[in-house]
Amino acid sequence: MGILQKAAKILFVCVHLMLLSGCWDRTEVNDLALIVGLGIDQKKDGKIMLTVQLVVPKSIGGGGQMGGGGGGGGETIVRSGTGATVADAISNLQEKLSRRVFWGHTKVVVFGERAAKAGIRQHLDFLSRNPQTRLRSNVLVSKGTAKSVLELLPPIEQSSAEVMRELSESQLLLRVTIKDALQMLSGDAGAAALPMVKILPPEKGKKELQTIAFIQRTAIFKKDKMIGDIDDKLTRGVLWLRNEIKLANITVRLKGEKGNITSTLIRAHTEFIPKYGKGKWKMIVKATAEDDILLNGTKLDLLNPKHTKMIEKELENETDKRIRAALKKVQKELKADIFGFAEIFHRKYPREWNRVKNRWEEIFPTVEVVVKTKVYVRRPGMNTAPQGLPEQEVKQ
Amino acid sequence: MIEKGKISATQMGIMMYLTIIATAILLVPAITARQAKQDMWLSPFWASFIGFLTVYIAVQLHQLYPQKNLIEYSEDILGKFLGKAVGLIFLFFYLHVSGIIIREYGEFIVGSFLLHTPLVFVMGTIILVCSFAVRCGLEVIGRLAEMIVPVVIIMILILLILLIPDMEVANMFPIMEKGMMPSLKGAVIPQGWFTEFFLIAFLLPYVADRNKAKKWGMISVVAVMLTLSFVNIAVLFVLGELTAGFIYPAMSAVRYISIAGFLEHIEAIVAALWVAGVFLKIAVFYYALVLGTAQWLNLSDYRPIIFPVGFLLLLFSIWSASNLMELTHFLGSSSPFYRISIQMGIPLILLFIAKWRKRASNSNQGKYQG
Repeated sequence: MGILQKAAKILFVCVHLMLLSGCWDRTEVNDLALIVGLGIDQKKDGKIMLTVQLVVPKSIGGGGQMGGGGGGGGETIVRSGTGATVADAISNLQEKLSRRVFWGHTKVVVFGERAAKAGIRQHLDFLSRNPQTRLRSNVLVSKGTAKSVLELLPPIEQSSAEVMRELSESQLLLRVTIKDALQMLSGDAGAAALPMVKILPPEKGKKELQTIAFIQRTAIFKKDKMIGDIDDKLTRGVLWLRNEIKLANITVRLKGEKGNITSTLIRAHTEFIPKYGKGKWKMIVKATAEDDILLNGTKLDLLNPKHTKMIEKELENETDKRIRAALKKVQKELKADIFGFAEIFHRKYPREWNRVKNRWEEIFPTVEVVVKTKVYVRRPGMNTAPQGLPEQEVKQ
Repeated sequence: MIEKGKISATQMGIMMYLTIIATAILLVPAITARQAKQDMWLSPFWASFIGFLTVYIAVQLHQLYPQKNLIEYSEDILGKFLGKAVGLIFLFFYLHVSGIIIREYGEFIVGSFLLHTPLVFVMGTIILVCSFAVRCGLEVIGRLAEMIVPVVIIMILILLILLIPDMEVANMFPIMEKGMMPSLKGAVIPQGWFTEFFLIAFLLPYVADRNKAKKWGMISVVAVMLTLSFVNIAVLFVLGELTAGFIYPAMSAVRYISIAGFLEHIEAIVAALWVAGVFLKIAVFYYALVLGTAQWLNLSDYRPIIFPVGFLLLLFSIWSASNLMELTHFLGSSSPFYRISIQMGIPLILLFIAKWRKRASNSNQGKYQG
């Protein structure tokens, strides 16, 4: 009997071992189409064209870089599907793919200009509802169609989606994830800003597709529809106003001096002080920056505190100019609150703000913005006096 | 007594902590955010009052009838017929609520991870595992809790720390924009979770160090309150106004974590937390249900009815809602009143009657009191 019981126990364990072997609906990696980039375009008839960029796993594993020489024989392929909605387009796309689409690795989502102008909310809804996609994917708008951007075969990175992800994460210009985009759209301001990419013209002798798309502009949205775009210079001003500036080189000329001085940003912070009185909304923007000198084209000795003061003053003026230019374009012309002033007022003056929240679109352009900039130059870099200049010519 | 095992008061507190937060942590932030908006972190504070009250009632009843649990002393208090009726209400209530908990578990697993696995299978397996735990008795469940809870707390802390880079403190302001009301309204639903503390009425007779039971019950309520508050704050800081739009905001927030470009996609930790927590939660409910049923039917052992009740639980979990929308609607609308009225209303009435009876019998006989 003891043996029988033992045998029964062993059998019981063995049955469980069989269950452990795997999931009944497992999907092997070689049955999946790993999507790294997703492009959404709107066609003339209103239909949605979905373009996906897939990794070809073969060439990532071994092989090495064979480049785009074979014309589409690179590490990625691009396929499109059309439908009434994004989700609808997926089923159309799936028909053309031998593997099941998998969204877990989607790094970038690109909206074509036309789709952006028609409204992006329903597309973002899909991306946030789908359990596979990630809220951290970067969202961009492309000049022209999204398909044209995803089709590119970049010389350095594995895919054009990877290029756009790297560029987004460098935070040189705007960086927006799906979560950020949803927050902007559902926020008080009713406006959003997304980075906009443009195709870099290919170098001489290279094929048409052997280039990248780079973030160069910023698309401005009111509600979920794109209403305009601004260039990189204005975008830097916008970044100051959103307290998102991370990298910036500013070049100034000093009065009475020949040559330029360029400084690089080490740390920056923008503080917003909302004020309300007698029906007037006012925002004090205090931008503070710490800089190092990167290049000295003048004859000034930078160890002299007087010179440092002069440079600081000039840098402050330049920053101020950038911020004001962005304000003029975005606040006065496009009238879209992409700086999130609405939230700031809401937080400080909830009662007063609630009274005007339905008219915010009219009020925003009339908000008085006072810009105060303060720049501290901390270090002259590795050198003191201007290099390559005889000592007697240096201005102490 | 049917149950011969003993647990310590600490084990009881730990067990209740996990039992409450297991489901609360994922579902409550969104439900609270719908009402309380940016004040959602305050709501657990208000809701915890009912937790303290529930623990107090259970402990008071226990002191009047130290050797008995709810099913037994309700007969002593209300007489045979009414007492049995109250017992039946509780048993049906726990059957229904356990079914809902199992359904919540199934919906989460199927909705986020095993999209194509049949719901019945997911729910059936957890019931099977829980029934093994229940068969082993209260001591085993208590020790399980001691083992799981530290891991759960450490995991929650790690996740909260990893979320720090994505937090935006400004999402919290303006605090109490529309006064206290939104946060109080947001507290109504978490109250339902806090009333689940009444489960200790089934555990108290088996606690070895009785004098500490009340203390540990209260500590457990505080711990649950703080955990829920911290999770709500973290979710609010990361997702802001979007919180109310998600079904499992904590899960969505964790999916957003990305540290240095490689520490990401760690939502599996949330799934592990949830499975471990829900396993214990179902085991505790299941245990109370089975034990209560056995006592109600005057059986000498509760083990024979574990599997039959398990099948009933599976049925109730399927019957409880036809889809996830219905389930969340029930949780977000009528469930708090349902749960509060049974887990706090009835015990409160029982307590009043018991006190009154004791006083009456004391003045009649003038003898000792239990």
